[in-house]
Amino acid sequence: MRRNQGCNPLDHQVARRQFLAGAAGGAISLGLSGAPAIAEQVQGQHKRILQVYLQGGVSQLESWDPKPGTEFGGPFRAIPTSVPGMHISELLPYTAQRMHLLSIVRSINLKTNDHSQGRLFMEKGRRAGEYPYIGSIASKYLAPANSELPGYIHISTRGLNDSTSAFLGAQHGQLKFEGVKPPKNLGLPKGLDQTAAARRIQLRQQFNKQFGRGRPKSMTESFDVSFQQAAKLMARKTFFEKEPDGKDLERYGKHDFGRNCLLARTLLENNATCVKVTHHGYDSHAENFNFHLEQLGEFDKTFAMLIDDLHERGMLESTLVMVYSEFGRTPKINVRYGRDHWGTAWSIALGGCGIQPGAVIGKTNEKGTAVADREVDAGHLFHTYLQALGIDSTNDHEIAGRSIPIGDPTADAIKELLA
Amino acid sequence: MRLRSIPQLVFCTALLVAGSVSAFSAEVPLHQQIDSLISAGKPEFEAQAAPLADDATFLRRVRLDLTGTIPTVEEVQAFLADTTPEKRTLLVDRLLASPEHGRRMQYVFDTMLMERRRDKHVPAAEWRNYLRKSFLENKPWDTLVQEMLTVDGTDEKTRPAAKFLLDRELKAEVVTRDLGRLFLGRDLECAQCHNHPNVDDYLQRHYHGLNAFLSRSYLFKDPKTKKMTIGEKAEGLVTFTSVFTNEEGKTAPRMLDLPEIPDPEKKKVLYKVKPAKNVRSVPVYSRRLQLADAMTNSDNIAFQQNIVNRLWAMMMGRGFVEPLDMWHADNPPSHPKVLALLTKAFQEHDSDMRFLLRELALSKTYQRSSHVSVDAEYPEKVNFGVGLLKPLSPEQLAWAMMQATGVTDKTLASVKAKQAKVDAKKGTKQADDPQWQEEKLHDALKGNVTSFVTTFGTVGAQSSRFDASANQALFLLNGPLVQSWLKPSGTNLTARLKKLKTAPEIAEALYLAVFSRLPEQTEIEQVAAYLKASQDQPDMGLPQLVWAALSSDEFRFNH
Repeated sequence: MRRNQGCNPLDHQVARRQFLAGAAGGAISLGLSGAPAIAEQVQGQHKRILQVYLQGGVSQLESWDPKPGTEFGGPFRAIPTSVPGMHISELLPYTAQRMHLLSIVRSINLKTNDHSQGRLFMEKGRRAGEYPYIGSIASKYLAPANSELPGYIHISTRGLNDSTSAFLGAQHGQLKFEGVKPPKNLGLPKGLDQTAAARRIQLRQQFNKQFGRGRPKSMTESFDVSFQQAAKLMARKTFFEKEPDGKDLERYGKHDFGRNCLLARTLLENNATCVKVTHHGYDSHAENFNFHLEQLGEFDKTFAMLIDDLHERGMLESTLVMVYSEFGRTPKINVRYGRDHWGTAWSIALGGCGIQPGAVIGKTNEKGTAVADREVDAGHLFHTYLQALGIDSTNDHEIAGRSIPIGDPTADAIKELLA
Repeated sequence: MRLRSIPQLVFCTALLVAGSVSAFSAEVPLHQQIDSLISAGKPEFEAQAAPLADDATFLRRVRLDLTGTIPTVEEVQAFLADTTPEKRTLLVDRLLASPEHGRRMQYVFDTMLMERRRDKHVPAAEWRNYLRKSFLENKPWDTLVQEMLTVDGTDEKTRPAAKFLLDRELKAEVVTRDLGRLFLGRDLECAQCHNHPNVDDYLQRHYHGLNAFLSRSYLFKDPKTKKMTIGEKAEGLVTFTSVFTNEEGKTAPRMLDLPEIPDPEKKKVLYKVKPAKNVRSVPVYSRRLQLADAMTNSDNIAFQQNIVNRLWAMMMGRGFVEPLDMWHADNPPSHPKVLALLTKAFQEHDSDMRFLLRELALSKTYQRSSHVSVDAEYPEKVNFGVGLLKPLSPEQLAWAMMQATGVTDKTLASVKAKQAKVDAKKGTKQADDPQWQEEKLHDALKGNVTSFVTTFGTVGAQSSRFDASANQALFLLNGPLVQSWLKPSGTNLTARLKKLKTAPEIAEALYLAVFSRLPEQTEIEQVAAYLKASQDQPDMGLPQLVWAALSSDEFRFNH
């Protein structure tokens, strides 16, 4: 067998593994809990993910990898953090005091400067192909079978509807909240009370029972699961509508991001498995510095409060925290005082569940124009996240007779980052 | 490294099979030949195969597949009462000739070719209109593709056809991949950088051979109209390097393993219109114009097989090759002889899609029940001996719900009444014209269809998987649109049910309207029990009875 060398769309795997050309209409097998082997790995504590996505590409030079006083360093200083010897940008004073809980990877090279390609690579750990996002994988393998919430919730104030679950099935796809607004259509139609609502569901099931006899279940099951998920959300309608505590709001900030992070905390406290919060608008082609001053000002305190809360509640040990973008920004400052797209040498921060705290992985050269040590890409990060959660990312997804490697087989975890 | 040319291999098989069946093909209709070949050499087939679906199921199925919605109550009753032996054939012919067929094919091909991507340079409405008209006049597949690949967007009349290229902005990695996937059934994406590591048939020269047709073309913004059009240079070669082996390669335009299409001897005059600032250059020899010919050429068997596979999948619920764009030696067609037979017939009928759909619809294979008797086992592999469940597309679901609840009839009656007044004045007869009716009805209800597409549609490559999400279920459960169709009003379904006195009458009317069939005794009892239980809330009882039926598996799938 030839070694698969980096280009890893699904069809490569499919071809390699020769899955039955006739297998049940490409149908997927369903089941709310993960495969037994993986369930065993993550037994015990309910592990979770908090994703903070800085959409548009945060500047590594104005955040995790400052280069003050160099040609491309920009106007901001670097400040010491709670980890001796680790410095980050002065735009992140609150976060700096929590860095003993987090780590930094400074040597990412994605080899793409395209928003969509970078985003998909960071989410799927693959450059191309129909693979599930990490949130969908978490939903599949980490969500408790009796979970009261869908496994993968994305709080965002705008934008893109991604297809996130690939072959894992729609019930593991992201459920998108528009900010703190609950999903649409959560309330029963006017005039319909609980009794009548229960009766209509029961009748629907009776219709289905009759139809299902002598017919295969794979597709109808997926349809039924969607109604079960909807019922879970409807049952928690008031929970979504609850006003946040005044004190909390004061700490987190009354802006959208503050409110969204507060909702993220509440969701995680209530056993959501993966919560993604998007902070929009880091695509600073012009006025990069004023922009990051303002934007990271909003991010910094809110994020620090959220980390404090997870830490104080003892949840950080079981919650993987990722702060990431689709790429970073060019060292070179353009004529509009902006920085452009840069997937070549940039950084992310991560911490919590299974991650060695206070570490700095890799580095860029003096001017920040290239990776100088320990180059990694999103494939390596993907393995790292999953292994931190206790999922063997070198294992396969077993889907209806097909085996598909969970992580890119040509990449591996950043071992020194794993606790 | 094994090198294998699949198109040629399959082509040889096609010739062999064609030879063996041609002896009786003159007398035996194609649909019967399909059925013979599907079961040929499989002694266990008949034991496992399901019987033909009953009339009501067949009517619903073919109505959804060929016209995109379910039949009206009157159609169901008439079809069940009809004793003409060839009534299924007559029905298929009637549906294929209807204006609704053009709309259904517009939806299918728009979704297939544009994959619900956002509009860029050509408005979707114009493109869809172009598609629908093409299907209404039964434009052959090769002609349609020729148009899509040759127009440059400068002529308003033909501009809609340029959407395929213009909205992909002529980006090599997008256009080349989609030419491979959508027209040749081969996803060559990986072959951009190297010969496919696991699929022996997908080579770098295939990818770049396709790319070479378009590599000289570029987007040009017309300074006057501000519209994006396609210009082309006279020179430029495609070379590539494997990221694995650093082997260098170059290729002229080519279709997979068919011969390269070399440029003609260089003439002194290279351009009809020379490149200059704000000028769209037009070369004397255009590689781009060769694309359409090379693609649709009868030597390019992959092109013919791909559309046959896709139309088969549309009707039968699964392609011979699945996924539809992963055609290679390790993923061969499940029924190569049937595929070869259909491909040959399709070519002989000048790429006539309506002809092919008709033959598929008339086959026993298409007409088999999706239900196996409780003792029979469900076949492990798809053998087309049992009908497959097909999830309704967002458009089918929207139109079927509106048909079932009476929204369609009500809207049609109202647009006809309005036009009848105009007709009376002007002495025209537009209100009676089926084509006019279809368009007006569509225009009146397209907002509702869009709501369904937004909720149930997915952007990007269509997969054969069926996925349902919580948001979709919430839309059905509590969304105001579906609820608004359930309130009794005028002659809609709940209003009609309300007038009925007994549970059996209600059950029959409900089943005819929603499930397009008559209820069985146990089903009548079930409806009666539900109505009894909801006596305390009569206002909720009937609307939610209809809701449960609309949200059921039987309604959600074409079965």
